[in-house]
Amino acid sequence: MTSPSSPSLAEPLWALARRDYSVASSYRFAIGFDLLYGLIDLLVYYFIARTFKDASTAHLGGAPSYFAFVTVGIVITLVISAASATIALRIREEQLTGTLETLAAQPVRSWQIALGMAGWPSAFAMARGAVYLLVAASLLGVDVSQASWAGVVLVLFASGLALLGLGVGLGAAVVVFKRGNNVVGFVTLALGFAGGAFFPLAVLPGWLEFLGKLMPTRFVFDGMRAALFQGSGWGKDTLILLAYSAIGLPLALWAFSRAVEYARRRGSLAEY
Amino acid sequence: MKVDRRHQAQRAEPKLLVRPKPARVANDTDILTIEGLSRRFGAHEVVRSLGLTAGPGERIALCGPNGSGKTTVLRCIAGTVTPDGGRISIDGHPAGSLAARRLVGASFSQERSFYLRLTGHDNLLFFARLRMASKREALRRVHALEEELELAAIVRERVDHCSTGMTQQLAVARALLGEPRLLLLDEPTRSLDEEAVERLWDALDRRRERLALVIATHRPDDVERCESQVDLPV
Repeated sequence: MTSPSSPSLAEPLWALARRDYSVASSYRFAIGFDLLYGLIDLLVYYFIARTFKDASTAHLGGAPSYFAFVTVGIVITLVISAASATIALRIREEQLTGTLETLAAQPVRSWQIALGMAGWPSAFAMARGAVYLLVAASLLGVDVSQASWAGVVLVLFASGLALLGLGVGLGAAVVVFKRGNNVVGFVTLALGFAGGAFFPLAVLPGWLEFLGKLMPTRFVFDGMRAALFQGSGWGKDTLILLAYSAIGLPLALWAFSRAVEYARRRGSLAEY
Repeated sequence: MKVDRRHQAQRAEPKLLVRPKPARVANDTDILTIEGLSRRFGAHEVVRSLGLTAGPGERIALCGPNGSGKTTVLRCIAGTVTPDGGRISIDGHPAGSLAARRLVGASFSQERSFYLRLTGHDNLLFFARLRMASKREALRRVHALEEELELAAIVRERVDHCSTGMTQQLAVARALLGEPRLLLLDEPTRSLDEEAVERLWDALDRRRERLALVIATHRPDDVERCESQVDLPV
């Protein structure tokens, strides 16, 4: 019996994404309910926007209405959650089931594990986001006639990369500190809240507005709203997000590898 | 592939057990070389100055009471725990390195280290894809192992529907996926029925020529199938 040939760098990433898809789809109704949950979220804000339909659109980043503004918030929050929180939560799950140690014993690099775990949640978040945008545009009256679809795709891509660094960093923290769920939840909420997902930064108190302007998510929201509602002005945000990811992602992948090494030294890969 | 039961009859009589295995001089053909391995957890020194070598075809039984460090030794060899002192080399590569992990198959005692929502087959296929160049090659290997170890009924089930013994058989199959040169088994027969135990040892016999085995076990019949035994003190 001969030894098998080694996989390419990408093969483990596909395998991890495929595994996560299989696990997710084994919960028969979960995918449907996830989709439904977002739609209900969308409807809640639709009716809130109708209630306050005369609100000023001066600070809505080019969005024609508050509902259009918040639709982008909802869609992007999904991507934030997928690219950041989900990786950390998956790693926590692997710790609890004992598969993290088994994974670490395989001939797979730590960065491949981290990136591979992001595959399925990111793809699913993009698909959900597309459905919500479609529903908002076709049934709930959000005007996307000015959209630059190339811009939408590029902003989404740059956002995914920029936030992935954060997600992998949070994953590294979970490998070391174990129970990081609360931190992960807090960071995800803060990124959406202070980044301008549900209301303009201009309505926040001064110190929070300042913090919000430092958040990478601010550029995600601004870029996406510009691409979707104005069809222009998204280039600068995209470049800033790419700069975030060029620095943040390699740094986070390095931190993740160090975290796994630390866990090997501590002997804590198999610990809860 | 049908398992040939004649392997049982052909199995050589076990040699006299040595307690502990006398240190022999390491040579170029050794797959595993351990020198002065020590590992502590907090104040408790679990493994102290352990030396061990194993070449192709050699089988070593790690014995000792609970807490004597058998699993820790296996984890250090597999690279999931870093030793505090000493050196472990797998065919010349440091334990835990990517090259070393390619050569090692391991089954630890946590039988539930599987994706419980997936079938046994999907679990094996996932781990095979981490080791092989293509999905096709991975599928071929998984099917061959399922047939060899007679796992057809087990791999159809989702792992959360499997008994401990069934899961343990899957764990051994997973350890054999990459045709490892060094196999680490942590109490692999603890929950197996006699037929499953024989299938396991038959599979190991078929790989005898190229495979070095380190097995942590409490079972005398497992120890008897090994040339040497290392007793670890508490």
